[in-house]
Parts: sequence; C-alpha cells; structure tokens
Amino acid sequence: MKINRTVEFTWHVIFMATVLVLVFPIIYAVGMSFKPLEDAYNNVLNIFSLHPTLENYITFFDTLPVLKVTMNTFIIASVATIFKVFTSFLAAYAFVYFQFKGKEIVYFLLISTIFIPFTVTMIPNYLIISDLGLLDSVWGVILPQLADAIGIFLITQSMRSIPLSLIEVARLDNLGHGKIMKDIVFPLVRPAVTSVGIWFFISSWNEFVWPVLILKTTENYTLPLALQMYISSEGGTNFTVAMAVSVITMIIPLILYLTFQKYIIGTFTSSGIK
Amino acid sequence: MSAFAAVRKSLQLNRENAIGYGLLIPSIIIFAVFTFWPFLYTVYLSFFDWNMISPEKEFVGFKNYMEVLGDPRTYQILGNTFLYIVILLAINCVVPYIFAFVIGVVLQRWNGFYKSALFLPAFISLVVGSILFTWILNPVSGPVAIVFGWIGLEIPNWTKTEGWVILVLSLITSWKVFGYNFILLYASINGISKEIIESARLDNIPLWRIFLQIILPMSSATGVYVFILTIVQSLQYVFTPVKVVTQGGPDYASSNLIYHAYHEAFVVYRTGHSATLSIMTMGLFLVLLFLYFKFADRGIYYEN
Repeated sequence: MKINRTVEFTWHVIFMATVLVLVFPIIYAVGMSFKPLEDAYNNVLNIFSLHPTLENYITFFDTLPVLKVTMNTFIIASVATIFKVFTSFLAAYAFVYFQFKGKEIVYFLLISTIFIPFTVTMIPNYLIISDLGLLDSVWGVILPQLADAIGIFLITQSMRSIPLSLIEVARLDNLGHGKIMKDIVFPLVRPAVTSVGIWFFISSWNEFVWPVLILKTTENYTLPLALQMYISSEGGTNFTVAMAVSVITMIIPLILYLTFQKYIIGTFTSSGIK
Repeated sequence: MSAFAAVRKSLQLNRENAIGYGLLIPSIIIFAVFTFWPFLYTVYLSFFDWNMISPEKEFVGFKNYMEVLGDPRTYQILGNTFLYIVILLAINCVVPYIFAFVIGVVLQRWNGFYKSALFLPAFISLVVGSILFTWILNPVSGPVAIVFGWIGLEIPNWTKTEGWVILVLSLITSWKVFGYNFILLYASINGISKEIIESARLDNIPLWRIFLQIILPMSSATGVYVFILTIVQSLQYVFTPVKVVTQGGPDYASSNLIYHAYHEAFVVYRTGHSATLSIMTMGLFLVLLFLYFKFADRGIYYEN
C-alpha cells in the first residue's frame, strides 16, 4: 500500500517515542541497580554508572533469604500454571466435544467470572484460607488459582478450529476420549496451550494483590512483595536496592518473553483470541 | 427394536452427559468454592457489622448501605473511579486501536519490532513498573524533572496533588495494560480481509475513513471486549500502584472503589462496608456492561 512519506515518517516517530517511554524504564532500572547510592542521586542522567557496583544486590541478599523468596515465587507460578492448563484443557474439551444439558449456561457462568471484581471474593477467600490454616503459606496463594476462565476461553477457541470430522473418524474407530485428547487434540492445540501456559506463569509470577493478603512473613514472600518492602514507608526508601530487586523480579519473565516472543505473539494474533 | 434404540440412545446421552460434566468437575469445584460461594457470602456480609475477628456478626439490615451511601467520601471515591475509567479507556482502548490499525494496515516496515516492543511491559510486574516510575517521575531528583528543568518546566508533586495523582497512577497502569490490549486489537484487525482494504485504497478513500468505516465496524466484537476488559481489569490493576505508591492518599484522592473496599476490609476491618462497596462495584460493572451492549450491539460485526 502506497502512503505519503511524511505521514509514514510521522507515525514512525510516534511509535519510536512510545517504545522509548515503555522500554526506557526497564533499561534505566538495570543501569541504576549497579549504581552506588550517591551516584543514583548525583548522576541521574547517566544511565550506567561510572563506578558500577554490586552492593545493591549484596544488600538484597543480606537482608532477605533471596533464594527462598525466588523459590516461593517459582513454586506458586509453576503449580498454578500446571493446574490451570490442565483444568482449562479438560473443560475446553468438554465444551467443544460434548453435548450435555446446561452446557451453554455453565460456559456462560464460568466465562462471566472474568468480569467479577476481585474485591467481591476477597474477604470470603481470605477466611477460607485462614480456616484451612494456610495463611502465610504459598499453598494458600495457590489454592484459589487452580482454574482459570480466560484459560478455558482461549483453549476452547483454539479447539474449535480443529475439524470435527477428525474427531468423528477417531470415535468411529472406537478410540477412547483419553486417547483422542492425548494423541489428536493436544498435539493440535499445543501452540495455544504453550502460549497460554507461559502467560499464566508470568501473570502468576507477577501477581501482587492476592499474595499481599495471604503472605505475612518475609521468608514466605514472593519477589513482587519483597520488592515492595524497599520503598514502603516502614522500610525506608532505598531506590538502588529496589532497582536490584526489580531486575531480579524481571529476569525470568523477560527471558521467557524474548525467547518465545514470535511464538507468543503468533498464537495471540492467530488463534482468534477475543 | 425402536424402543431398544431409544433406550440405547438415552443411555449414550446420559453417558455423554456424565463424561461432559466429569471433565468440568475440577473447574466447577474451584469456581464454586473460590468464586461463586464467596460472591454470595460477600452479599451476606454486606448486611452485617463485623470486624473479621470477633466471633459474633451483628445483623444490621441495610445499615451498611445507608452509611456507605450517606458518606461524602463514597462520592469522592466514585468520582475518582470514573476519572480512572475515562483516562484508562482513552489510553488503553482508543490509542491502541489506532496503533493497531496503523501497524497492521498502513506501515510496511518495522511492524514486527513495534509489536514485540509494545507488548513487552505486559510481561513485567506492575510493582516493578510502579517503583520505576516513582523514581523516574520524582518531581525533584528524577531524570524527567531534571530534563524538564532545562526548559523551565516543573513536574508537579504528583503523589501529593489531587488530580495529578490519578493521572500518573493511570499512566503507570497503562504501561502494563497497553501492549496486551494492542495485541488483541492487532489480531482482530489483522484478520480483516486485505482485499477489502486494498480496494478501498485503490478508490482513494482516505485512511481515517478506512479506519472509521471498514476497520472499526469489522473488528467491533474485539473492540467491545477490549473496552470492557479495560474498565473491569485495568481498574483492578490500578490497585497495585495505589497500594505501592500512595495507599490511596493524599486524603483518599487516589483511592478507587477497588482499593477502598480493600482498605475497609484489611486496614480498618469493617467487613460490612467493604462488602457493600464490593457489591456496588459489581453493580457498576454490570450497569456499564449492560449499557454498552445495549448501545453497541446493533453495530457489532462478529468475526468468524
């Protein structure tokens, strides 16, 4: 499509500026995490310090059990992801390949939970976790997150694109549902399932609202909660350490995104997510 | 024979029913226990005075509703909530729509780069974003303040100034939300037949008319979804910068319905007020959803 050169140039300027606003903070944080504190205040405009130091990372490792905190974050994110993918896959399979009474109603009820604000379920869920004795435990964070409406929705969308005749042929050959799921449907929706899984993992890794209610002691914290400590009013404000913790919090999601970006964007833009 | 066939068919149907439900049971249990029951219990709590600790809950009828509706602070917070909604919709619905159109249809180069870069912050913790921007936008010592200082501009002390605080917290939230919405809209616009757009271009129809008359109607199902998602989810995302940066201050100027419900429950332990506010939020969401569907359903073109 031919377009006016000036128009094209203007748009490139707008997009570059937007990209700069979105990505600059991340680069700036990496630079600042290696600055000594006085440098952070005196050399604000130098992204990278002339006297790089590891002291911010050392402070973080000295004040918190960092490995434990990272493990907590990892356990929550992986267990929640595995369960969500599994329950969403089974539910999607039921919605796409079965005709049963009340199917539409159940589908509608499950999907409509996307639009329920979390404050509506916050107090009762807190009480349930408390009654189960799971306050201040990673399992208390994980438990309510074992199923996911967006996951059901996305995987259902992706399964609908598989030709039904394929499944009918398999049924005529007397293949059981377990085998059809494992050998026919799963391989065909694997790209969507993987992308949804990565998305779940990262969302859960970054999750803040629910863990902040459940986790109380620092050794049970996840990375985003630990990060908050360094600029909270109680803990005093230590921005350079906060930047070091930010970098550690960002590393895994960034690596996952940069490794799988073509794949994730591909799935998001082709599988009819809406 | 026909009776036998009917019995067989009904048995098969029953079996289908059973397997269908069986596959749904894990999801249904989780949602029943952690979403539907809590929702009902929150409705129940809105009729009681309680502090989450005391063994006794006192039934007070509609007293919580009267108190919440009689409190001028509620209206301040409602006003804040609408302000957040308007700003978030402008930044995360209107702008990404235009961006998705230009990147998907108009530009020939660097499209892939723009897509990856715009989507990137969606993968990063909003706590990280809140802290980065608190430093970068620090009105005295932050890099933006220093650069602005060269040309004689001052950054308002936004964490302490009514109005500004909502704008900046919305911007921080948008940093995270923008790319996700952009990708959803891009996906939808990308799915529109290129031939329609090409022939419009051959007829010399200007780009803004292509956007308004072809792209907008043909991607409207996704458009509506992103519109609703922006209201419902970004309003909840705002919770994170509010909690991390201002705790609702100064004097409730940055609080919204979501944060205020949290504050009532877990800071001042008034579960009745919190539950009432949550039910009101839910009501507000439902009204917005309903109005939007009523208003927009006529023009929606369903893709696929």
